[in-house]
Amino acid sequence: MVREGSDTSDSIESEGFKAKTIDASEASWWRRLGAGATHYPFVQRSRYYFVISFLVIVAGAAALSARGLNFGISFKGGVSWQVPSATLTVAQASKIVARAGVTQATVVTLGAHSARTVEVQAGLTKLSGAARTAKENQVAALLAAKAHLPSSAVAIEFVGPTWGGQITNAAVKALIAFFVGIVLYISIRFEWKMAAAAFIAVVHDLLVTVGIYALSGFQVTPSTVIAVLTILGYSLYDTIVVFDRIKENVGGLVDPGKMNYSDAVDLSVNQTLARSLNTSLVAVIPILSVLVLGAYVLGATTLKNFGLALVVGLTSGAYSSLFIAAPLLARFKERERRYRQIRARLERRNAPVEAEGLPAS
Amino acid sequence: MRKGRWIRSVLISTVVALAAFAAVISAHYHPVLGLDLQGGASVVYKPARKVNTATLNETISIIQDRVNALGVGEPSIGQQGSDIVVDLPGIKDPKTALSYIGQTAILQFRPVLCTAPLYTKPPASLHLKKSQLTPTCPTSTTNTASTLQYVPSTSPLKATSASTALLPEYQGNSKTVIGRYVVGPTLMTGNAIKSVFAAPVSQSASNQWAINFTLTSKGAPLFNQIAKTYYHQLLAVVLDGTVQSAPQINSTNFNGQGQITGNYTQASATDLATILHYGALPVQLVQQTVQTISPTLGAASLRAGLIAGIAGLVLVMLYTIFYYRLLGLVVVGGLATTFAALWAIIGYLGHSVQLTLNLAGVTGIIVSIGVIVDSYIVFFERLKDEARNGRSLRASVDTGFTKAFRTIIAADLVSFIGAALLYYFSIGDVRGFAFFLGLSTILDVASAWFFTRPLVLWIGNSISPKHYRWLGVPVVQVTRESTVGSGVIKPSRVAAKGV
Repeated sequence: MVREGSDTSDSIESEGFKAKTIDASEASWWRRLGAGATHYPFVQRSRYYFVISFLVIVAGAAALSARGLNFGISFKGGVSWQVPSATLTVAQASKIVARAGVTQATVVTLGAHSARTVEVQAGLTKLSGAARTAKENQVAALLAAKAHLPSSAVAIEFVGPTWGGQITNAAVKALIAFFVGIVLYISIRFEWKMAAAAFIAVVHDLLVTVGIYALSGFQVTPSTVIAVLTILGYSLYDTIVVFDRIKENVGGLVDPGKMNYSDAVDLSVNQTLARSLNTSLVAVIPILSVLVLGAYVLGATTLKNFGLALVVGLTSGAYSSLFIAAPLLARFKERERRYRQIRARLERRNAPVEAEGLPAS
Repeated sequence: MRKGRWIRSVLISTVVALAAFAAVISAHYHPVLGLDLQGGASVVYKPARKVNTATLNETISIIQDRVNALGVGEPSIGQQGSDIVVDLPGIKDPKTALSYIGQTAILQFRPVLCTAPLYTKPPASLHLKKSQLTPTCPTSTTNTASTLQYVPSTSPLKATSASTALLPEYQGNSKTVIGRYVVGPTLMTGNAIKSVFAAPVSQSASNQWAINFTLTSKGAPLFNQIAKTYYHQLLAVVLDGTVQSAPQINSTNFNGQGQITGNYTQASATDLATILHYGALPVQLVQQTVQTISPTLGAASLRAGLIAGIAGLVLVMLYTIFYYRLLGLVVVGGLATTFAALWAIIGYLGHSVQLTLNLAGVTGIIVSIGVIVDSYIVFFERLKDEARNGRSLRASVDTGFTKAFRTIIAADLVSFIGAALLYYFSIGDVRGFAFFLGLSTILDVASAWFFTRPLVLWIGNSISPKHYRWLGVPVVQVTRESTVGSGVIKPSRVAAKGV
């Protein structure tokens, strides 16, 4: 940042304030990070990051085409029973369900002790109306009896086979609208190249998340969809904060010809690195709490589905803001004639300075 | 001095948030919990064919009537696109209720065993035994004024069963009971009807209308059979547990068609014809999703969500206090006022527009903790930047906020646009989530401007330079270029940093 010197009115206080002045080479990493004085070459090394992301996405795409996503009953239709029971075992539940004539059921447990829930999922979409309802109630009654509960304690969820299509449809519409809205907004507030870089970074997060879901076989539920849409918001939010700083540094350093565009991007990312890390940490803490405490310890299924996607996506989002969006922007802008000229001029001017070695402060 | 104004702003925003919170609490406007948090049943119905708005509205109003008849507290019947969403929070017997609500045609033909007197509230001294409460016709003339008048009409839910029932007949669309009948088990359902039309009774000079119907090939012999058995007796046309009409059977052979005559006008005849033709609902409904959740499971989810949220909140607060010290306390205060305001809004909207807070909404709020705290981080890091560039704390706070607020607005707008579009385009749980995320984004901007800014400005102006470390603002100023790294950061930049 360019400061032409502090205001005179501040000079009395500033003495107490500028307590520590540390040479960067002596400062710890933590101090340098806090002072925005790290020098990670994000743009210069971006080729590696792009390759890493590319490999992750390709692996995900391969898994996606090989075995697809593990859609929950909300998407493919079916019935699920949730039995809150500390004693009912998976084997018992499977046996009961099979005896009731429900084939290909999956049984999982969630939570522990008093918060333990046994969840059974099955297709059953071929049965229609009354027959299905009867089967639902029969299985619920059997499960409840085994768990020594009244049958009303068993939660039943039925999802019709066409419902998933509707959700998907709505989600895709929301996604497209989201993209269009955001790209327009960034184009107006900043510029279209920033919008393009942010867009690519967000698509990157989307692909990485989908890829990881395909690789890991985590179940995809409507909560996952919510989570993915949230991630995109987060990722953009991060990107916007970095871009805002880039815009400011470009105005103060690049445009007057003091720095080339790529270096300004690197500087901006490093300056906002403490914020990026703090923010990601602060965002991830409540989500981890949701995932670990809410889902695994206390057994709320919805919270689990939600937390998993958020943790995966948030990491990807934080990564893409720093390693994908910012370097991409630098590459886009360096193509512009104006910034090529600035770069050339600076390289000519800086050559002898570098030859002298480190500058005297 | 501007100090007075800052303190006032902090105080006013805190008082407003807390007063709203207190008002909502004292008015008992508790947040309306969604089904997944308090238990109950929820169904999404889709019309089996494409229908126009009028038909859809008619369907919804019929479902509304049926749900009202169940006597569930705070049911909600809503429309989502062309789908109908029925929420029955806290319902005890969801299975029976759902099968009743969604049925297209609960049209029955039942024999009238006897007519019953209108219901009278039993005198306090009278205690009817359970056996006396079942509707039975008087067996002899001696007990005509039987206990029947004290027996309430059978609830529509039980009227669908195969047993004897005591059913009311209403005056048109009003809720005035004009007659009651004890009817036997169902003899024939609406399935036997092929087509129906209303027509004036030709011979009648008094502008009377009748309902003509034709029966299906299966229905015709069945109807003749009924006619023979109950010749010259009354046959009740029962719809959704109320008697529409109880015409007398005056023939034993209907040749697959019949006529219901009675005291019908053109309008009432057409209404009944429509009902007979389509059943109660003008269109068949297909269940898209059905969800029944027991109150205990709902409560467990709520508890899990709350505990997770509070634990997350506490950890975030500890971290910010560790990292930003006194400023961390500002975050705590800001979060407290924001959540007081958020709670007040949720409570108020729950009361006024039936806004429900479901698990997705709770997670939306938990997620928004991150968004809200991020605004503080953006601000505090800016403040540090300004300080490192040699400004006094007072000036750093001022310019730091101006710059940070621009960033906060830009980033929050993205969140808000996202939430708004998500709300507009999505269905189900996603909507609740988007709503709460959008709401907390707005509150975030408001709290940054009215609470955080004046409070930090005030702190920045009041605190003595000796105590700057309280702010957790490590004033580490980097004077020399590090030799590590690739050297892309050119020396010229260090000078440019304006040390």
